[in-house]
Amino acid sequence: MIEIIKKRAIFIILIIALWETAARSGIFPPLLFPSTAIIGKTFIDGVMRGELINNAGFSIYLIIAGLVLTLLLTIALSTLAMLSRTFDNFLDTAVAVMNPLPGIALLPLAILWFGTGQMSIIFIIVHATLWPMILNTVTGFKTVPPIYREVGENIGLSGSGLVLSIMVPAAFPYLLAGLKIGWSRAWRALIAAEMVFGTAGVNGGLGWYIYKQRYLMDISGVFAALMVIVIIGILIEDLLFGIIERRTIKRWGMSA
Amino acid sequence: MTKKINKLVAIMALSALLLSAGCSAKTGEKTEKNSAVDVPGPKIRIAIQYGLGYAPVQIVQEKKLIEKYLPGAQVEWKQMGGEVIREAMISGNVDIGFMGQGPFFIAWDKGADWKIATALGSSPLGLQTYRKDIKSLQDFKKDDKIATPYSGSIQHILLAMAAEKELGDPKAMDNNMISMQHPDAATALISERAIAAHFTSPPYLYEELSSPNIHQILDGEEAFGGEFGFLVGPATRKFHDNNPAAYAAFVMAINEAVTFINNNPQEAARILAPSFKLPEDKVEKYLTWPGTNYTTTPYGLMGFAEFMKKAGYISKVPADFDQICWENVSANIGKKSGGKSPVEKAQYRNTK
Repeated sequence: MIEIIKKRAIFIILIIALWETAARSGIFPPLLFPSTAIIGKTFIDGVMRGELINNAGFSIYLIIAGLVLTLLLTIALSTLAMLSRTFDNFLDTAVAVMNPLPGIALLPLAILWFGTGQMSIIFIIVHATLWPMILNTVTGFKTVPPIYREVGENIGLSGSGLVLSIMVPAAFPYLLAGLKIGWSRAWRALIAAEMVFGTAGVNGGLGWYIYKQRYLMDISGVFAALMVIVIIGILIEDLLFGIIERRTIKRWGMSA
Repeated sequence: MTKKINKLVAIMALSALLLSAGCSAKTGEKTEKNSAVDVPGPKIRIAIQYGLGYAPVQIVQEKKLIEKYLPGAQVEWKQMGGEVIREAMISGNVDIGFMGQGPFFIAWDKGADWKIATALGSSPLGLQTYRKDIKSLQDFKKDDKIATPYSGSIQHILLAMAAEKELGDPKAMDNNMISMQHPDAATALISERAIAAHFTSPPYLYEELSSPNIHQILDGEEAFGGEFGFLVGPATRKFHDNNPAAYAAFVMAINEAVTFINNNPQEAARILAPSFKLPEDKVEKYLTWPGTNYTTTPYGLMGFAEFMKKAGYISKVPADFDQICWENVSANIGKKSGGKSPVEKAQYRNTK
């Protein structure tokens, strides 16, 4: 853990140093490339006023809602794909067709179906995360050696019982990687969707905050919001995913 | 660990590359300027957005009017979104850009080194709805959404002005507001989904009104209190100071284009129709719609600045017109001794 913190610290200090050098060199107009001190001050102001915290909270709520839906759909669809070859073929085509489509391009459809509220953004998040997660899960299931499955069948497991107690643990590294990809893609989808249409007033997320600050020519505010995303990203990566990894695939001897 | 270090080195190399690219771009610009004596003429980079309000600029482009007044001028046309135009001007990639008064004042307040080189005129703006039960701002309920392009856009500011007038609080409608691009909002309004009303500008304003259920409940001039200019075209100080001939050619070109539209709307429509992908007669109808006024004189500058300061969008109001207008525009407004001329008065709101 301390090792990780050290690595992160070195990296962050280097980035800050590079940034500050570039800002002070005067190559870029300061209106568009503020110094780290200004960004830091905007960040602290935003946090103290509660605006950044509220916006981040709203974004995290949307992402969790989207990811929970995605997770449920992934489990249901992948399990079906394992049980039926026809459905597997169908899902394969669906992933091939849908995965490359940028969610933001579907926004007009989302508005048509779900209106302009949170549902549309959640729809975009589910679209951005569902296909890579299904791809990872199904690939994970397919790489499980047949002998595992046969052992499961020998002890009397079948159907969804077989999937949940044999296939899921055996394919867990793939599932976890899928979840990590889903997490980062969810952020990108959320910020992009909110920048195209954010709800004004009380309920806005970080994407809306970024859009608003950019419009108000407060570029340091844009970077302050990006800092929040980076901090949340590091925390989730090191704490949440780190703990899950240590408790599962490392303990089971699947990864060093 | 070694992997991490490799990654680090790669990232550092990349950033160094980006930095040096920035440097070389700058030196590139300098050599260009030095050799400007040999090349045919100065370069003018102009950025516009899409819409009927930009018609005079498009006429300048189509009829090659800058080249007429400055033979050999190299005019580069760019089409981009509002924030991008501002950022491109500040980073030195665009000389003259067109935008609404709101975005102009926000950037001016933050220190953008530019002044207005021309205004483009006034357009009828309006708040429109398909709901029969909505006749004024008072009829909006908590969940009735009003679409404007973004928070702080001219449409949003007009909505805030009307809210202050009718309801006593400029922020009264803020929680009803939702930010949507005009085409999306127009589609939503016409299909009567997702939003209750749309504060819009031409041509979306006309398209929506041609749908039988849609009616206008608030008109922009009524909200503002008088006529107001919609778009302005600031020029950077660098361009204005270093290229006086090119600047003068631009001013003459835009003046000729405005006069051309006003005197020959039919011919102007013929030139503009292909870029709007609309039939000529429709474009002509739009160019001459009641309330449309193509002119290079600004209207309502101080009215917007004062309200935007009060609403917290900007921190200061220009002390005089020279702070925000280049000489040609200041000269249009004038400075009457011992009072205010009608043109000077037209820069303020008449809230009585």
